[in-house]
Amino acid sequence: MGEKVVRILRHTLTETDLVRIFVIFSLTVSCILITWLSFSLPFFMITTPLFFIPIIYAVYFFQKRGLYVAGICAVVFQAIGYYYSFPEPLALVSISAEAILFVLIASIITYFIEQIRAGEARYRTVFEHSQLGILLFDAATFSINQTNEKFAHMLNYSPEEITKKTVLDVLLTPREKSRFLERIGKQKTTENFETRFATKDGASCWVNLSWDHIDDKTVSCSVMNINTRKLAEKLNNDNMMKYRQLTESSPTSILIVQNGYIRFANPSFSAFLGYTAAEITGKDLGTFIDPRDAESFAEFSSQWGQKLPSPLAKEFRFITKDGELRGGGIFTTPIRHLDNPATLINLVDISERQRLEERIHRDNEHRRGIIVTVAHELRTPLQPILGYLNLLISDPESYGIKDDAKKILERCLVSVDRERQIINQMLDLSILESGKFHLSCSEFPLAPLVKRVLDEGGYATKAELTVAIEDSVMITADMDRLYSILEALLTNAVNYSKSPRKIGIFYRSGIEDKQHHIAIRDNGVGIPQDQFTSIFEPFQLVDGTVLSRKYERLGLSLSIVKKLVQMHGGDITVESVVNAGSTFTIHIPRDQEVHHDA
Amino acid sequence: MTRKIMLVEDDQPILDMMDIILRRIGYEPVLVPDVLDALERVKSDPPALILLDIMMTPMNGWEFLEKLRTEYGNKDLPVILFTASPSVQEKIAVMKDPNLGVLQKPVSIPELKAGIERFLGK
Repeated sequence: MGEKVVRILRHTLTETDLVRIFVIFSLTVSCILITWLSFSLPFFMITTPLFFIPIIYAVYFFQKRGLYVAGICAVVFQAIGYYYSFPEPLALVSISAEAILFVLIASIITYFIEQIRAGEARYRTVFEHSQLGILLFDAATFSINQTNEKFAHMLNYSPEEITKKTVLDVLLTPREKSRFLERIGKQKTTENFETRFATKDGASCWVNLSWDHIDDKTVSCSVMNINTRKLAEKLNNDNMMKYRQLTESSPTSILIVQNGYIRFANPSFSAFLGYTAAEITGKDLGTFIDPRDAESFAEFSSQWGQKLPSPLAKEFRFITKDGELRGGGIFTTPIRHLDNPATLINLVDISERQRLEERIHRDNEHRRGIIVTVAHELRTPLQPILGYLNLLISDPESYGIKDDAKKILERCLVSVDRERQIINQMLDLSILESGKFHLSCSEFPLAPLVKRVLDEGGYATKAELTVAIEDSVMITADMDRLYSILEALLTNAVNYSKSPRKIGIFYRSGIEDKQHHIAIRDNGVGIPQDQFTSIFEPFQLVDGTVLSRKYERLGLSLSIVKKLVQMHGGDITVESVVNAGSTFTIHIPRDQEVHHDA
Repeated sequence: MTRKIMLVEDDQPILDMMDIILRRIGYEPVLVPDVLDALERVKSDPPALILLDIMMTPMNGWEFLEKLRTEYGNKDLPVILFTASPSVQEKIAVMKDPNLGVLQKPVSIPELKAGIERFLGK
């Protein structure tokens, strides 16, 4: 407020103060004159109370400094009184008492006024510096009479702007308005009424209101900004909702286990066991495990507290409420729950998987049974054909068969024989795959076996042979199976090359990998690199296409070879260049176990 | 010595073929398509040798052999098993029974001849 200021001596005085001082001075002088007159004149006048007018006026406005006025008044009054009343003792006493009364009353008034001023200043400080918004509004019209800056700034208004509004203006939505009106209509005093105010730019501001009626007309209201809290709550709620949805709709069971007891279980776990959530929570997880798995579960659960790079996982049998057994795969992660160590468990229902596996196993068994039967059924009619053809070819003259016809019959025989071989291989493969076939391993020298294969297959007449196997090489394997392996590889080498054929058989003993390496090299058509893997598959579909006819038989016999080598704990590899030749190498561990079947 | 050879086989085409081949190589085939008749036939008309299929119903070749050797106590009658692919079971059986032979199907004429001659001589 731009009031003019006047400096007199060391004191700074406003114009209002000057006017007040002038009024006090005039009143004091008047009182002195009236007092002087009343003593000097023969009639009595009421003079004493007049002095209270300037004294009260002075102490009201200037407090302690106003006491000077009271002092001056008392001295002057006493001087005049003594002058006229001396030496009447009663009059002197009464005059002195009245003079003291001036100062006393002035002091008392000063004291109270200072008290009131101090209290007011305190409340003003509270009002102005409060961290709460404070507003006073009209009980009937809700127009805002007074606010502190805090409230104005809360809503981005200046204090002048906000006092032109009503409380209803700053409530964000009609719904909030009606809630406010309903509440203020019901309750004269309210605490913690949460609502939303609109800031100057229309944004929402969450507030907590507490109000009280000061009198019939005015309501005092404190406003707390709870935006941050509400935002945090909302975020928290959003997160909670997210986690809730995640856990409740998760197809895997999710548990929190603390000291072995279930603290939380999601609906999937309830469904998995058939118990309600209430029946599960607080129970020992171990009580739901099949007793046969109890020991391994106890051992497993003892490791839960450890910090490991990946979750621990193991499968257990659980007992459902109906007493059924269900397989569950448990994955655990150490977490903190309510500020204490706990274990987060993800449980995957594997009973369905186990059922499927069993079914697949049964189906496979069934399929193998069918293959064996089919192979037998296919082979049986071939026998008479082969028998008759053999009969005709072995003694053509007696059946009146001429040379041309004999050649045709011989070609028939080759084809039928090939068919027989395929069926036999199919049967062999299904027997190998059934896992019912066991090796009968013994230790024997390799070179004589290779010689026998070559001799009995007559390979020396079909190709130029190079054999590099030292006589000292001993191998532990199933001799009959190794014979079949070598025979199959040599047959392929012959079938997939043209004259002049060159076939090499090389042996190398691996020093580092402790394996026998037997390589069979040909100079045949070779195999494209992209078929290096598929040639070892049985002759069915590879990548959705049937293997070219060229490799059909090769594929089947190679898949048997591979199975047999693998049964020895070994493997087979191929290196090949198209139109230059292939090298098949079988790798068989040297430390093969010698065992004899029955 | 009789040249009778009993063939126990439930597949008629094979029986027919074997009939021709056995006659051709100089034997007198006795064809038994039903394995349940075979034991009676062994008693009533003893052959010099039995050619026995394994996969047969309602009794397979192993069961027939077991009955022949134990119930009928006939341990001397030579039997040749026809097998799809010789397994350990057959190998062991052959080692234990001197009057048992194995031939892998389909058998060629020289193989059949040699197999029979092993027991009956030329």
